Amino acid sequence: MSRPVERILNLLAFLLTAGRPVTADEIRHTVAGYDQQSDEAFRRTFERDKATLRRLGIPLEIRPVDRWSVEQGYVVPPDRYRMPDPDLNDEERAALWLAAQVVRIGGRPSGPDAVLKLGGARTTAGVEPLVVNLGEEPDRLGVLYEAAVDRRKVAFRYRGRDREVEPHGLGHSRGHWYLVGREDDEVRVFRVDRIENPNPVGPDNAFAPDPDLDVRAVVTAQPWEAGPEDEPTPVIVRFDPEVAWWASRRLGIDRQESPDGSLEVTLEVRHLEAFIGWVLSFGDQAEVVSPPEVRQAVVDRIRGVA
Amino acid sequence: MSERTARRLTRILSMLPWVISHPEATVDEVCERFGYTRRELLADLDLVFVCGLPGYGPGDLMVAYTEGDRVVVEMADYFAAAPRLSPSEALALLAAAMSVQAAGDAPDALVSATEKLTRALLPGAESVLAVDIDPEPELVTRLRRAARDGKVVEITYTSLSREETTTRQVEPWSVFVDLGNWYLSAFCRMAGAERVFRIDRIRSLRETDETFQPPAEPPPPRVRYTPSEDDVRAVITLHPPARWVVDYYPVEVLSDDGDRLRIVFSAADPMVAARLLLRLGPHAVLEEGEEVAAALSDLRNRLLARYRA
Repeated sequence: MSRPVERILNLLAFLLTAGRPVTADEIRHTVAGYDQQSDEAFRRTFERDKATLRRLGIPLEIRPVDRWSVEQGYVVPPDRYRMPDPDLNDEERAALWLAAQVVRIGGRPSGPDAVLKLGGARTTAGVEPLVVNLGEEPDRLGVLYEAAVDRRKVAFRYRGRDREVEPHGLGHSRGHWYLVGREDDEVRVFRVDRIENPNPVGPDNAFAPDPDLDVRAVVTAQPWEAGPEDEPTPVIVRFDPEVAWWASRRLGIDRQESPDGSLEVTLEVRHLEAFIGWVLSFGDQAEVVSPPEVRQAVVDRIRGVA
Repeated sequence: MSERTARRLTRILSMLPWVISHPEATVDEVCERFGYTRRELLADLDLVFVCGLPGYGPGDLMVAYTEGDRVVVEMADYFAAAPRLSPSEALALLAAAMSVQAAGDAPDALVSATEKLTRALLPGAESVLAVDIDPEPELVTRLRRAARDGKVVEITYTSLSREETTTRQVEPWSVFVDLGNWYLSAFCRMAGAERVFRIDRIRSLRETDETFQPPAEPPPPRVRYTPSEDDVRAVITLHPPARWVVDYYPVEVLSDDGDRLRIVFSAADPMVAARLLLRLGPHAVLEEGEEVAAALSDLRNRLLARYRA
């Protein structure tokens, strides 16, 4: 079992100290563990080892060996291998370790290995009985996250269409991960679980960060707040006493009920269809008070006209 | 094999820099910090001892052994720093730290750790990641406290599958978040069995002084839904804009051709299905379910009366 680990440690030590790109052929004849292999066996083993290094987060770069670019070689630049020291103390490492234990992404704890890289955690504390499930596979999120950090465009398929997007951020809200990006200069939001085959394309720093684009605000917006209409329509809704508590909780507002216990609020609606669906989820215990055209749209929807 | 190899390498490449920069490190401390048993640590040190630079002679190999209580690593300066976090590790760790904070109740050390980590990993791009969990700070904090102290609580609860509000005593076991919603796992004294409650449907909460003995091994916190025999069933076809329903409700999928998704929707009260259908409008079609059809027609009439239309 220890042979791949030994071989990869030897490979990494060589790549970190060579100070120049080295070819696969040189690796094969220099690094212990690859000798005495047939061409085909070497190729397979080397591919697997490269994949392991990349999976560990190690920057394995390919560069021309000479200035005529005839041959390509591998290098791990030491300054890119190590991470900027976040200067954590033991208490902070333990807090991160605990958070990584109770938060699950893709069904697994979210990164005890990452805490090892930061210096491990001395902790005897029991795990708090709080479990947060953030859904979603970490690998796909990792690709999008890296592209956002590097400010590199990503290409993917979404709802049957090929897209190329500037990824500005990732946000988690109401049980889903969202990619917030720009496409044709429009801000767009994509559900990450519906993004197929995301791949970075083009160079790093392909777009400037957008200080006005607030990822958190975009992903936490209510469904009717983001939508096709530029100018929001103020809509007044009344909720009956039985659902007033629930509506105010969903809206994240302090309860301002009238004496009879009902709740009347004004919502700024940009997406009428999403809004009507939401109001109707209260059944006949909520009513659009005004404007008349929105009342009519609700009635049409109830009748099945629209 | 590759999963095990990767994990073992990560631990070695993390442990070596720590020992190199902490020459006083003891075997016990290294084991505790990196989750090693003594035997595993010795095996990894032995392995490091036979690795190094080409030539692979005495001057080329790393030196790693234990001397009494101490761990000694030499000739390994190229491994003096731990490798950077991979993108998915960085994302997962930051997201974990942010969600525990969003959930409220985070220790100061986690707040400062998140700030330091964000600065180190996302210089100039701190806003790339945002994790939001619908906060229910007050109820969640009170329920967690009651669970920790083993105190019985009385909740007024409006069930999701039955349009019905009840007040009941429960023995709170744990609080958790699944796909964006907060849940309480508890023993319900009214039902005489374990139940999972959506915390946003808890209308009010009252702590009591009565204590209970929590189970030695509470079931793992997850959302369970077992349709009862009395449930009303409806077969519904969902069009693409209505597919989210399967993420939010416990449904059974009958078929999916990528465009039309046929599901069985079960609920104790047909009105729950009726309101959902009304909400989905043209994006969902009721295929089977007389009770639901009747409830839908009833709801339509009541709404039209309310709108005087």
